[in-house]
Amino acid sequence: MCRTRGCYLVVSAVVALCALGHAVELPQGHWALQPLRKAAPPEVRDGDWCRTPIDRFVLSTLEQHRMKPSAPADKRTLLRRAYFDLIGLPPTPAELSQFLADSSPGAFERVVDRLLDRPEYGERWARHWLDVAHYAETHGHDQDRPRTNSWPYRDYVIESFNGDKPYARFVEEQIAGDVLFPDDPHATVALGFLATGPWDESSLRDIREDSIDRQIARYIDRDDIVTTVMNTFVSTTVQCARCHDHKFDPVAQREYYGLQAVFAGTEKGDRLYDPDPQLHRERQQLLRRRTELREPSAEVRTGLLAPEFSKHVAEWERSQKVVSWETSAPISVASANGADLHIERDQSVLASGKRPDTDTYTVIIPGKGATGIRLELLPDDSLPKKGPGRQDNGNLHLTDFRVYAIHSDSSIAEIPLRNPTADFNQAGWDVSKAIDEDAQSGWGIYPEIGRQHQASFEFAAQTLDAEQFKLVLAQDHGGGHLIGRFRISITDSRPPLAVSNWPENIAAILQLPASTRSDEQKVALALHVARHEVEQKLAALPAPRLVYAGAHDFIPDAGHKPLGKMREVRLLKRGDINKPGELTAPGALNCLPGLSGQFACDSSEGSRRAALAHWTTDPRNILTWRSIVNRAWHYHFGRGLVNTPNDFGKMGGQPSHPELLDWLAGWFQENGGSMKKLHKLILLSAVYQQSSRDNPEYAATDSDNVLLWRMNRARLEAECVRDVILSLCQMLDQKMGGPSAQQFVLSPGIHVTPRVDYGAFDIDRAEMRRRSVYRFVFRTLPDPFMDSLDCPDSSQLTATRNTSVTVSQALAMLNDQFVTRYSEHFAERLERAQPRNIPAQIRSAVQLAFGREPGAEESSRYAQFAARNGMANFCRVLFNSNEFMFIN
Amino acid sequence: MEFLRNMQFSRREFLWRAGGGLGGIALTKMLAEQEALALSAHHPPRAKYVIQLFMNGGVSQMDTFDYKPELEKRHGQKFDPGAHVEAPTSEPGAVMKCPFEFKQHGQCGRWVSSVFPHLASCVDEIAFLLALQSKTNVHGPASYMMNTGFLSPGFPSMGAWISYGLGTLNNNLPTFVVLPDPRGLPYNQKGNFSSGFLPVTHQGMIVNAGAPEPIAHLRAPAKATYVSKETEQESLELLRAMNVEHQREWPGDSRLESRIVSYELAARLQLAAPEVLDWRAESEATRRLYGLDKPGTEDFGRRCLLARRLIERGVRFVQIWSGAGGPTGNWDNHANILKELPPMAAATDQPIAALLTDLKSRGLLEDTLVVWSTEFGRMPFTQAGTGRDHNGGAAVTWLAGAGIRGGVAHGESDPWSWKAQTGGTYCYDLHATILHLLGINHEKLTFRHNGIDRRLTDVHGEIIRPILT
Repeated sequence: MCRTRGCYLVVSAVVALCALGHAVELPQGHWALQPLRKAAPPEVRDGDWCRTPIDRFVLSTLEQHRMKPSAPADKRTLLRRAYFDLIGLPPTPAELSQFLADSSPGAFERVVDRLLDRPEYGERWARHWLDVAHYAETHGHDQDRPRTNSWPYRDYVIESFNGDKPYARFVEEQIAGDVLFPDDPHATVALGFLATGPWDESSLRDIREDSIDRQIARYIDRDDIVTTVMNTFVSTTVQCARCHDHKFDPVAQREYYGLQAVFAGTEKGDRLYDPDPQLHRERQQLLRRRTELREPSAEVRTGLLAPEFSKHVAEWERSQKVVSWETSAPISVASANGADLHIERDQSVLASGKRPDTDTYTVIIPGKGATGIRLELLPDDSLPKKGPGRQDNGNLHLTDFRVYAIHSDSSIAEIPLRNPTADFNQAGWDVSKAIDEDAQSGWGIYPEIGRQHQASFEFAAQTLDAEQFKLVLAQDHGGGHLIGRFRISITDSRPPLAVSNWPENIAAILQLPASTRSDEQKVALALHVARHEVEQKLAALPAPRLVYAGAHDFIPDAGHKPLGKMREVRLLKRGDINKPGELTAPGALNCLPGLSGQFACDSSEGSRRAALAHWTTDPRNILTWRSIVNRAWHYHFGRGLVNTPNDFGKMGGQPSHPELLDWLAGWFQENGGSMKKLHKLILLSAVYQQSSRDNPEYAATDSDNVLLWRMNRARLEAECVRDVILSLCQMLDQKMGGPSAQQFVLSPGIHVTPRVDYGAFDIDRAEMRRRSVYRFVFRTLPDPFMDSLDCPDSSQLTATRNTSVTVSQALAMLNDQFVTRYSEHFAERLERAQPRNIPAQIRSAVQLAFGREPGAEESSRYAQFAARNGMANFCRVLFNSNEFMFIN
Repeated sequence: MEFLRNMQFSRREFLWRAGGGLGGIALTKMLAEQEALALSAHHPPRAKYVIQLFMNGGVSQMDTFDYKPELEKRHGQKFDPGAHVEAPTSEPGAVMKCPFEFKQHGQCGRWVSSVFPHLASCVDEIAFLLALQSKTNVHGPASYMMNTGFLSPGFPSMGAWISYGLGTLNNNLPTFVVLPDPRGLPYNQKGNFSSGFLPVTHQGMIVNAGAPEPIAHLRAPAKATYVSKETEQESLELLRAMNVEHQREWPGDSRLESRIVSYELAARLQLAAPEVLDWRAESEATRRLYGLDKPGTEDFGRRCLLARRLIERGVRFVQIWSGAGGPTGNWDNHANILKELPPMAAATDQPIAALLTDLKSRGLLEDTLVVWSTEFGRMPFTQAGTGRDHNGGAAVTWLAGAGIRGGVAHGESDPWSWKAQTGGTYCYDLHATILHLLGINHEKLTFRHNGIDRRLTDVHGEIIRPILT
């Protein structure tokens, strides 16, 4: 904490003067911002101890402190340690005895190679990554809806570790895979990373779009994305600069909002992908085209007017059938339940005044020879959400529509209607339901409110002569689902009269001879044709898969819809939504030597993320490379070289071995960002292979073992506890991937959030036996058993897990039905192998659970216990023991 | 060693380190200290215990405690305060007066509507905050805000902070207990009483007061027929013997020792819990006082009574919830105030008044703080007939007991109770005041998480001195 208040003010002034938001002049002496020092491994006195360059760095520091490393761990301990570390499961007794018997050089190296090749390696290390990324499968908040399409991202992480994906590529895919590797389906799935965090469904989907609460929620949601990206990849707590310049690190507030601007078009939603690369390529091209046509740039417009495309448009036009509708001027209109219906100048009818629960409109229009009738629903500023309905949400339900012919002799005959079509049908409220026999079903248009819609109906008997037509529009659904504004037209064109999806302006253009159309009209028509074709081609493709991911274009969900353009991101003074400042341009941090945080990106959404991805993986971005080797070290040793893996700032930890950290970062870069090579390098080091035995003399000065004079003892993580117990019972399902296992009974809740009951779940079901990485994590109601063992609920990023010791943990380990039931299963397994032979069963149990032989006295004590209390009780005690819970 | 002194340790690691070196201290104390900051209070505390009554859904303030004659005058008119009006889920309707009668009560003359006849008799004990605001009008973030001080998930709740800050008063019972509504958990479910990034030991322990198994994992499930009282005793003895032996083999790791202690404490909780949860041990008169003899008040009354039993035995923080999440069966009265509010009020009115009376008569109100709160208020205008939409602009909260000046009110909403007008407060101020009464300086109760020294009160919070004695 070196900056004084005065200095801080100077910094603010510099920021204010930097019109381009360029590198803020800050004291850059902080270790994390220095270029990598590529020091050679130091000379040490006890060179024989060293197996890898890592050892020289660690030993050199120990020697400076007049300390010696611990003796190597015995082979049993080392093997168990490596197994848990790399695959999260213990060695089988056979694997153990094989290793014990193998005294040839390189025996341990071969074990490491074999473990890194096992698929369980990816499952184990993906779980670490999912902690950092705060991955869970519900939204969190009050509407804690399950996300059924999150899991492909989890599988992507597992596959990436198993495939030893180069780290830079792994990073780039998770920020901008869709843009940088558009032909690779995995790279789209990777964007699940941006959507791992909670999402406030009430605020972002259900409340009013124009409310201040929705704006607040958008900034908070982008903050979650920015925080996830920057803490994970560059270990920098940029979120501290949301209200003011970062107090301790060189992150200006405008840089923070520049990062928000990178994600100005990124939301969380279900996006399409195809596991088949060719299909993926095809669909993604169409989806990009669709986005491009939504708000077409000048370039796209020019393309639409090119001669080749114009020819194409002309062909399309020839293939279209134009129905000429003639607007009918109503003679009279009436509401059955007291609404005011007024005929407007454009012959539309607008409802106002009393809004009854249900209503029926009766309209008389002039008759003539006709083949069909069209009902247009029109938006209006006087209606809720601009209508076209009168319901609070702008919707309406036309439950029954009838047309009668009134002849000159005053006789009235109903005209049967057929072939109803509409430009849009609300889910479950198809236009055909307006002419069925069910008075409660009907046509609705939600969520496509605030815009014009139309429906056409053919007359069953063609060309009827009538003096007048009487139309009856029943709206019997209730709750004010009434038509707010409508207009009637009739036609004498020959059927089919299907409503085309032509918007009003296109219909008008089509009425004009091609030669008289303006350029603007030509563009509008071409745009319509291009969009229509994209939709047709998309509809013709086989059904896609979905992944819940960061997305600009995604499947709309009620009020949560793709906007099609960037949202405005403003610098919020003091982080206050009511104090918006300047608009911010996308960019990253400018504190890294030789690497600018200014982006030269075009206006598209993806290019912003692509720029951030490249900034992150740039070899000059030393934060990225230091961050990942430190993370790996943290998981191998239980403590990072920097003990705050998400924070390399001044408030974070100092590196215990700065030269080693830099050497590892450089080595990792030179070795192609291979995680597997890094694991191997670390596991083969003498530092890693030390015993974890305490040394009171050293502990007196370094009780946290920062200097690494011994190995750290690890407590099993919650997932390991489950997986090991299952594997000891021989019940661990080997199946990889796919939808997550819900280890609870799910039933509908009072509102959106379902009821989740862990106690009622039958724990002998197959779902229970999946590996823990495939568990469905429910944010607001996590599994109490896992919870008690410090398994995070993923509401926040978890760079390091707590390893607490609590009363509720003791009670959960004793009494959770998982432990009590699988104690029985373990006992049954032992009984099956050695029926009625308690001493032999005890021996196996200890071998399997602790990886060692029981002593003679121990065996007899355990056997006595088992004889009196049963083997299941013995297994339950084993699972609760410290020897089971800790790895030396 | 210069080098090691320069290393930065998290507070938690520091405590682990301290735990390892304090050989002479009783194991139980060691365990408590490893898990809690266990600070000696920053200043002498006024309160030792807190009972928080949380009314889930957003209590309508102008229909309960915030009397607004202006609404009667303007009833049925368009709401026009001279500024932009928006409601989060609906189109603003006409001004709606309170459908219940308001009267003045007590020596202080506090206005209370007819939905709270019992509470009305307690107003001289109570300090009201009449202009408590929220930064949001949405249940999820607002509930997080009132409970954790932040709009987003994953932050520690007030009870967790207090547990972390002050540690336990009774090694046989948890420090923070939550008594949810049997109809269901509130919005955000366990998120509202989570320990967030604090160690999990500080999270609220859920006690389902009326359920056959009120505390999860307290006993082996009935299906585990191989576990009996006898086997359990032998099992725990064997476990202890194994762990002690293992620890002797691997000395110098305080976690191994702590785990041994944790099983002893678990056994003590198994013994202590049934006693504390046995409301039947209370006299007939006490049970009647809390309304346990009537179906309408039985459940909430039982939970209020349990809260008293819990704090009597040293539980620091008890949170009682009225109402589950979701659109109905709580205080989220969107459709019809006249129909939806009275049953919620009636279920809680007598029990809460009984709690205040009972605490006082036993001398417990001296060091127990009672807090009544909700996530936000409601709108002065209608929504869908006679309901009201969410309103973060103004809400009522009240406090009573330890260190609180009775019969006063702080803050005032505007004439419609639409927004705070004077003396506006946020949860930060409420939390700062509660921590202050517990002897904690809210600016000093911090935990480093992802680069920030986090506080319950973020960067805000002023102690609300006018309501303190």
